[in-house]
Amino acid sequence: MRSFLNPLFALMLAAALAACSSTPTEDDSSATDDMSQQTDTSPVTPVEPSTPSKPDTSSIPLTADNFYNHPSNYDGTTDSRVIYFAFDSNTVPAAAFETLRAHATYLKNNSNAKVRLEGHADERGTREYNVALSERRSKAVEKFLRVQGVSSSQLEIVSYGEEKPAAFGHSEMDWAKNRRVEINYTAGRP
Amino acid sequence: MKLECRAKKMWRIGLAAILVFGATMARAELLIRVTEGRVDAVPIAVVPFEGAQNAPEDVSQIVQADLHRSGQFKPLPAEDMLSRPRNESEVIYRDFRVLGVEYIITGSMKAQESGGYEVSYALFDVNRQVKLMSETYRPPVSQLRDVAHAISDRIYEQLTGIPGAFSTKILYVTHNRSDKNPYQLQYADADGHRVTTILRSKEPIMSPTWSPDGRKVAYVSFEDDGMPAIYTHDLATTNREKVSSFRGINGAPDWSPDGQKLALTLSRDGNPEIYMLDIASKQLTRLTQHYGIDTEPRWLPDGEHLVFTSSRSGGPQIYKLNINDKSVRRVSFQGAYNARPDVTPDGRYLVYVHRRNGNFNVGVQDLQRGTFNIVTRTDMDESPSVAPNGSMVIYGTQDRGTGVLEAVSIDGRVKVTLPSKEGEVREPAWSPFL
Repeated sequence: MRSFLNPLFALMLAAALAACSSTPTEDDSSATDDMSQQTDTSPVTPVEPSTPSKPDTSSIPLTADNFYNHPSNYDGTTDSRVIYFAFDSNTVPAAAFETLRAHATYLKNNSNAKVRLEGHADERGTREYNVALSERRSKAVEKFLRVQGVSSSQLEIVSYGEEKPAAFGHSEMDWAKNRRVEINYTAGRP
Repeated sequence: MKLECRAKKMWRIGLAAILVFGATMARAELLIRVTEGRVDAVPIAVVPFEGAQNAPEDVSQIVQADLHRSGQFKPLPAEDMLSRPRNESEVIYRDFRVLGVEYIITGSMKAQESGGYEVSYALFDVNRQVKLMSETYRPPVSQLRDVAHAISDRIYEQLTGIPGAFSTKILYVTHNRSDKNPYQLQYADADGHRVTTILRSKEPIMSPTWSPDGRKVAYVSFEDDGMPAIYTHDLATTNREKVSSFRGINGAPDWSPDGQKLALTLSRDGNPEIYMLDIASKQLTRLTQHYGIDTEPRWLPDGEHLVFTSSRSGGPQIYKLNINDKSVRRVSFQGAYNARPDVTPDGRYLVYVHRRNGNFNVGVQDLQRGTFNIVTRTDMDESPSVAPNGSMVIYGTQDRGTGVLEAVSIDGRVKVTLPSKEGEVREPAWSPFL
């Protein structure tokens, strides 16, 4: 059976990524902020039969707080092109690892393929500071792919901050959808 | 909630009516409302100018709106005037003194055979019963609004001792998703009229800023294949120059006081750092060295220092940098989020975005006294920009989910709203004196 996630590996990688990314850029946790829990406590229960590669995620409620790490956002293949992030975080979520490994494998097998990693932030905070924050997100994804052996010549980064939201509302869920890195193939699209 | 709060405040200070100006102006222009005035706003009477009703622009109305918008003056509605003098000989001071009016402005607009107008005005002090000043202008029709703002500037300076900033412009970015080119860079008169579009783009436009002579602007545009670059743009000739398109972030340009250099943010060496670009020689000097985020530089008036946002202590805070020895010291200490500083022309006050209880507001720090005050009560406030006379700060905020511009006096006592009629308006930059 193909496990959804090897928890030990995930933890190690998360720790490694957290260690190489620099310190968090905001440090207060006022009550009204959706300051994220970095550890994902959602119980992922791989349920057998019909679609063995996809766990049944129907039992896990999708909230603004767990959106970035919710299995329903990642199908584990190169079809998934968006990686979400917790508030004030540039840590690649564990639920996205398999998807990113699929992209890495594809890129390694197709040296003509190129991706642009587009970093985005939610609307809170100042615009240029958000550009800088969103660059850290795309760099975290870049680092993940590089560690998997992808050539740097296949990777390009651009940081949009809050300028190109995916969701246009102003709720916590809209913000969760906007804290993201989009993986855009500029050549050799799968 | 927000509206209730404003309504309560207005009630408290007895501003019963919200005056809405310029109801007939073109689409997409900005409508300006004074939402909070000073309790001690000076009562004035701008008597409708003789001949203004038939003119293409009513100079007396523009002057009245300007003075009202400053928050320092409370104009008497024309219908409440007991008499409407056209000139000095017709002024009956007691008609205005009984209404508490302290100053009277009279004037006239006469069409000239040349096609232009002769615009005259006079300013009277009710208590001393004297004429303080009078002037005559002969503008073409296209410059009637300029003359009106010039008159407002003169009157404002005569009565407050501070140069007026009514003849200035506001540069800003609009975002309208339904437009073929959703991102546009525009500027308008400080009262929101006479909108000019500088650039239309399918990709984001950010961080617009003025050259110190007001002839050029600089901004970040992602128009080139979605990648960021900094452009300078001559407003008269529309000539553009791409001055920075390095790998990574090209952001946050700010013109040096001598107009020779741009401070900017680049991440070409790995992470966001502040650089200085000599515009003529293209020589680049790196000014910061830190693994944290360094961005949003603003020159101090001395041309020797910058303030900027840095995450070097954890969350974003404001730092001051000496460009000669590159020494850096922290200047903001209240709260965990302070970012995107601007500076008053005298260098005394910093204005920047401050987060408190999850709300983003504009704060003013007095560098002489060390005090810090939050001057807005909205949320999602950003991009504060100081008027060239130091009196007001314009900033972007949200009203019912849409980006709008508001202005507040440095002391927080006057607030003005400039809601847009369509799409979002953001990142205002107040021009220098033009």
